[in-house]
Amino acid sequence: MSMVGLEVNGRLVSKDVPDNMLLAEFLRDSLGLTGTHVGCDTTQCGCCIVLVDGVSVKSCTVLVANAKDSRVVTVEGLSDGVHLHPIQEAFIEHHALQCGFCTPGMMMSAVDLINRHARVLTPEEVRSEMEGNLCRCTGYHNIVKAIVAASEKMHAR
Amino acid sequence: MNDISHGLQLEPRPADLIDGVTLKAVGQPLARKEDLRLVTGQGRFTDDFNLPNQSWAWMVRSPYPHARILQIDKEPVSAMPGVLGVFTGQDCLADGLNAIDHSPVPSTKFDVRLRGPSDTPVFLGRHFLLPTDKARHVGEAVAMVVAKTREQARQAAQALLVDYEELPWVADTQKAAASDAPLVWEDLPNNMLVDSSFGDEQATHAAFEKAAHVVSMKTHINRVTGVPLEPRAALGNFDSTTQSYSLYAGSGGAVRQKKELAQVLGIDPEKVRVLSYDVGGNFGTRNRVFVEFGLVMWASKKIGLPVKYRADRTEAFLTDYQGRDLVTEVSLAIDANGKFLAMRANNLSNVGFCCVSLSPLSKGSGLVTGSYDIPLLLLRSRAVFSNTMATQAYRSSGRPEVTFAIERLIDKAARQIGIDRLDLRRKNLVKPSQMPYTNAIGSTYDSGEYEINMDKALLLADWQGVEKRRAQAKARGKLLGVGFANYVESSIGFPKERVDLIVREKHIEVVIGTQPAGQGHETSFSQVTADLLEVSFEQVFITMGDTDIVSAGGGTHSGRSLRHASTALAYAAIDLKVRAKNILAAVLGVLVDEIEFERGLFVHGPSKTQVDWFELLRLAQRSELPADLQGGIQVRRDNEMHTPVFPNGTCICEIEIDPQTGALAILNYATVDDVGRCINPMIVHGQTHGGIAQGVGQALWEQCFIDASSGQPLSCSFMDYAMPRFDNLPSFKTEIAQVLSPTNPFGIKAGGEGGTTPALAVIASAVEDALMPICGPIEIPMPITPVKIWTALDAARKNKEVLL
Amino acid sequence: MSPMTYHRPTTLGQAKELSQTLENAVFMSGGHTLLPAMKQDLATPDHVIDLSHIGELEAIRVDSNDLIIGAMSTHVQVATSKIVQELIPALAGLAGSIGDRQVRQRGTIGGSVANNDPAADYPSAVLGLGGTIITNLREIRADDFFVGLFETALEPFEIIIAIRFPTPLSAGYAKFKSPAARYPQAGVFIARFEGSVRVAVTGAGQSGVYRLVQLEKTLLESFVDGAAANLEISTENLIEDMYATKDYRANLVRMMTSHALKHMGTISIFK
Repeated sequence: MSMVGLEVNGRLVSKDVPDNMLLAEFLRDSLGLTGTHVGCDTTQCGCCIVLVDGVSVKSCTVLVANAKDSRVVTVEGLSDGVHLHPIQEAFIEHHALQCGFCTPGMMMSAVDLINRHARVLTPEEVRSEMEGNLCRCTGYHNIVKAIVAASEKMHAR
Repeated sequence: MNDISHGLQLEPRPADLIDGVTLKAVGQPLARKEDLRLVTGQGRFTDDFNLPNQSWAWMVRSPYPHARILQIDKEPVSAMPGVLGVFTGQDCLADGLNAIDHSPVPSTKFDVRLRGPSDTPVFLGRHFLLPTDKARHVGEAVAMVVAKTREQARQAAQALLVDYEELPWVADTQKAAASDAPLVWEDLPNNMLVDSSFGDEQATHAAFEKAAHVVSMKTHINRVTGVPLEPRAALGNFDSTTQSYSLYAGSGGAVRQKKELAQVLGIDPEKVRVLSYDVGGNFGTRNRVFVEFGLVMWASKKIGLPVKYRADRTEAFLTDYQGRDLVTEVSLAIDANGKFLAMRANNLSNVGFCCVSLSPLSKGSGLVTGSYDIPLLLLRSRAVFSNTMATQAYRSSGRPEVTFAIERLIDKAARQIGIDRLDLRRKNLVKPSQMPYTNAIGSTYDSGEYEINMDKALLLADWQGVEKRRAQAKARGKLLGVGFANYVESSIGFPKERVDLIVREKHIEVVIGTQPAGQGHETSFSQVTADLLEVSFEQVFITMGDTDIVSAGGGTHSGRSLRHASTALAYAAIDLKVRAKNILAAVLGVLVDEIEFERGLFVHGPSKTQVDWFELLRLAQRSELPADLQGGIQVRRDNEMHTPVFPNGTCICEIEIDPQTGALAILNYATVDDVGRCINPMIVHGQTHGGIAQGVGQALWEQCFIDASSGQPLSCSFMDYAMPRFDNLPSFKTEIAQVLSPTNPFGIKAGGEGGTTPALAVIASAVEDALMPICGPIEIPMPITPVKIWTALDAARKNKEVLL
Repeated sequence: MSPMTYHRPTTLGQAKELSQTLENAVFMSGGHTLLPAMKQDLATPDHVIDLSHIGELEAIRVDSNDLIIGAMSTHVQVATSKIVQELIPALAGLAGSIGDRQVRQRGTIGGSVANNDPAADYPSAVLGLGGTIITNLREIRADDFFVGLFETALEPFEIIIAIRFPTPLSAGYAKFKSPAARYPQAGVFIARFEGSVRVAVTGAGQSGVYRLVQLEKTLLESFVDGAAANLEISTENLIEDMYATKDYRANLVRMMTSHALKHMGTISIFK
C-alpha cells in the first residue's frame, strides 16, 4: 500500500492504495468516477482512455502509483460544469454514440488527437489516428464526422 | 400500479388507428435524449453499481472441450484469504436449483416449426447453473468461488483443483453430425436435436428433373461472437427481511430474466427484482440468461452478502453466447429463360453444447428463397450439438446465412447460364403486385418494392462507373471487384408488449418492457408518444429496465421494439384520451361527447374551457371524482401481434485487392434499406452503419477459431479476434426507403438488422468479382483474410488446385 | 493482478541497488508489456522497479555520426524528435507506427528491445542499423543481442541505458500489419552504409528478428529495388498462425523487402 496523490479533474486527491492498483480501477472504485470503462484485458479497446498530463493513455495499463503527481482528466472533467465540451456536443449532434460504452474513451482519445494538430483534421487522419479505439455499435462512420466537426470548432476558437 | 384502465388488444388494426395524428416529431432526425448522460460519464452500466459489503465471484472454468467432473477439492481453497464460499454443481443440485428454461424453440404463430428427428419433441439438453456430470465445452463454469475482493476470488479460483476425466470431443459442425461422433448428451443417440423437412418433395424433384439449368453450392458460414464492448456483469443481493432478490444485470429484457431466474431458483417471480439500465451493446448476445446471473443471486442468499461478478474480455470471448455456424447446401433449378423453378436447401446449424436458441435455424429457414419468386422448395433443417459454446441469435439471426446462400447461388447461376447477374435477379424478384407474397415455406412478405431498391442502389453506388474504375485500378496494379446482393429479412419476436402511459406533473411517462443497448428507444419512443398525445418531444420520458416498475414486456430482439412499442402506444393514446375526456367531463359536470381533443388541448366549447394534459391533471387532483376516474390520468395497454414484417433492400460494395499481399480495401459501400416508416432517420442510419460493420467483420476478419487437434478456442482476445476498426472500414452511403407495412398502425418494419443481412453475400460477391480474371469463379471461406486471398491467387498463377 | 510493491528510483544507482536487494523483482519502463503480462499472470513479480523516472535514461542526442537514444525514450518522443527525423527518418517513422497513439505515449525503446517480442517493430531497426545496446555494465552489438524468442543477451538486472545507432546513407522500413493484433506479420528494415547493407526482418521468424544475409550481399554489389523481386525466402523457420501460412509469410517478407527498397528514406505500412 502507498499513499498516492494526484490531480483528477482539477481536484487534488490523495488515497492509500495497493501498489498493484491500475489507474482505471482507482478512478472507478476509489473515486467513484465510473465514466471511464474497462472493455478488454489486452490494452486494445480504448474504453479506458483518459488524459494524463495532457496526453491520452490507456488507464487500464498504467499503475495509479505511476500517475502520482500527474494531472488526470476523465470524461467527467470534460465539460466546465455549465457548457459541454465541443467534442461532447459534436458526438451528440452527429449521433456518434449508440450504447455509450466506448464513448468516454473515444472522446478523450479524440480530444488528445485534436489538440495535437493546430488545424482541422481530415477524415483519413481521424481513421488512421484512432486505431486504438474500438466501437461495436456505430461502424465508426458518425464518430469520424463528429471528430472532424469538433476539430473545426476547436480550431476556430 | 393499480388496474385503472387495462385493455388487451389481439388483432392489430391498420393505419386508421393513427388517423388524425399529425406527425411532427416522427420522421425527424432528433438528437437523442440518452446522450447527455452518456457523454458526461453518467451512464449506469451494470459494473457501475455497487452495494455495501459486496463480495466477488470468480468462475472456475473447464480447460477441456469435454470431460467428466470426478472430484472438486474445496477444502484447501475454502481456507484461502478472504474466501467466503466455494460452490459446485453438487451444491446447486442439493439446493434444488432448476435448469434454465431458455425456451429455445421459436413458437410464435409464424415461426417455422422445428422438430426433432422423426417428428419428436426437440431435445434441448439441460443448462444447469453449474453442471454435476460433465463439462461440455472449454470455458464451461464448473465451480464458483466467492471472496471478499475480486483479486482474492481470482486467486482462490485458480487454486481450486478439479479432477477431470477427459473425454472424446467434437467441435466441427459436420463431424458432430456424423454417426460416429462423440455424444455431447448421452440421452440423445446422436447429436442431432432437430431434423425437420418442409416442402413438396415430389414437385420439387420433378422441377429439378426438367430444369434447363441446375446450380449447386455448399458452404460453411463461420462462427463469430458478438463482442459487445461492455463485458457482462451481475450484482445479486438477497434481502432476508423480505426474502426477495435483486439483480443488477444488463440484458436484452429484464422481465424475461426475472421470470427465468425465478424459475431456476424455484421461487415466485414477484420475489425477484431485475435492474437493467444502460447496456453496452447486445446484438443478441445478452438475450438469454447467463449462469452467472443465477449464481450470484443464489450465492448471495447462501453467504448473506451481495455478490458481484464481472467477466473479463477473455471470459466474454469464451463464454458469451456465440453466433452463426451453419453448413448450408443449396441448389436452384432454372428454366431455359432464366426463371427460377425450384430450390433445395439442406441447413445444418451448430447449437453448441446446449440448446439455448433455435432462432437462427428457424428464421433462416423461413427466408431461404430470399427476395425471389421461387414456387417450390424442399428444405431440410437440422441442428446439432457439439463441444463448443452455445450459439444464439446474433444480429439478424439466421438471415445473413441464408441470404449468402441464395445470393451467391444466383451469382453462380448467372455465370453458368450466361445471363447478367442483375438481369437474372430482376427476372425473378417478387413484384409489388404480388404483395403480400407467401413464399414456398409459408412466410408472407408484407410489403416491399424490391426492384426500386435495386435501381436506387445502382445509382447510389455509381454502378455505371465500375468498369472505368476497374481499369484505373488495374493500371495501378490492383484488382477491383464489385459485389451485389438483395435481401429480405424478417422481424418477428416476442408477440406481446405492455405500455403504461402516465401523465405526471410536468411530463408524460411511458413505462415499457423493451431493453435498448444503443438503439435509442428513449428518443424514438418519445417521438411517437409526443405526436400521439400532441405534446412536445421534450415532455416525454421513457422508463425501462426495472422490473419493479416494468411489469411486463418482451425485451429487445429481432427488430421488434419500435413496431410493438408504437402499436401499444397508439392504442394506449386512444385509451388515455378517452380517460382524460371522461375526467374533464366529470370535473365540469358535462357530457363527455362535448369534449374535444385538438392541438394538445382538451376543449369544452360551451364553457370555453381549454386545458392541456398537465393542467387537466392538476384539475383532477383538486376535484371530487367518481371512483373509476380517481388515481390520475394513466392507462395500461397490452398488445399482442404475431404478424411478422419483412424489411428488405439492396447492397452494393466495391473493393480493391492488392494481389501482391492479398490485402483488401473497401472503397465504397452503398445500401438501400426499406425499414417501413422511419421514426428517426439519424438513428436508423446509425443502426445500418453498425449492422454493416458486424456483417463485414464476419466476412473479412472475424472467427471463433478452434484448434482442430485440441478443440481449444484460439481467438479469445483482441490479439487474435480481428475486429472492424476505424481504419479498415469506409464511410457508407446509406439510403432509407419507407414502404409502409400494412401490419401495424405506423407501418414500421425494422431498421436494426438490415445492415448485416446482405453483408456476407455482398463481400463474397465482390471478392469473386475482383479475383475472377485470375482465379475464375471462386468461393473463399469466410473470413476472407489476406492470406486466403493471396493463397488463391498464388495457386491460380501456379495453376495448382486451390487448397484453402 | 497479484499484489506487489512498486518502486520508483530516480537514479540508475538506486535502480541497481533495488534490483540487487529485492527478491522476485522486475524492471518496468512503459508498462505496456509488463502490466498486460501481469494481468494474465504470465508475470508474477513481488516487486516492480519503475525505470521511467530516471532522468539519465531519457534524452536523444547526437555523438559524432551516431544517434544515441535513451532507453526510456517513448515511441512518440522518438517519432517526433527533430534529430531522429533528420538523421534516420525511417527510424522516426517506425517509432511512429508502433501500436496505437496511446501505446506510443508510454512504450519505450528500452522496454521493447529488452523484451524482444518476435512481432515487435524495433528489433528490426536495431538489428538493421547495426545498433549497439549500451547497458550499465557493457556495450552489446545488435548482432549479439537478439538471442532467441523473447530472449536477449542481457544479464538479469542489467539495465539498458541507451541505444547507439550509426547514421546510414539511407534506411527504409516496410511492414504488413496482422488483422487482429496489428503487429507486423513481416516488417523489413533496410539500412545502407558506405561498404555495407543490412536487412533485418521482424514478425516472421520463429526465433525473432533475423537478417537476410544473402540479400545483403546482393544489394552491396548492386543496390536496386528489383533485387527483391525473385528473392528466395526459406519457409523453414517462419511463424505459422491463423492469419499466415508459411508460404504467405515468405511472400510478405519478399514484398516488404521490395517496398522498403523502393521507398528508402521513409516507411511503408500495409494491412
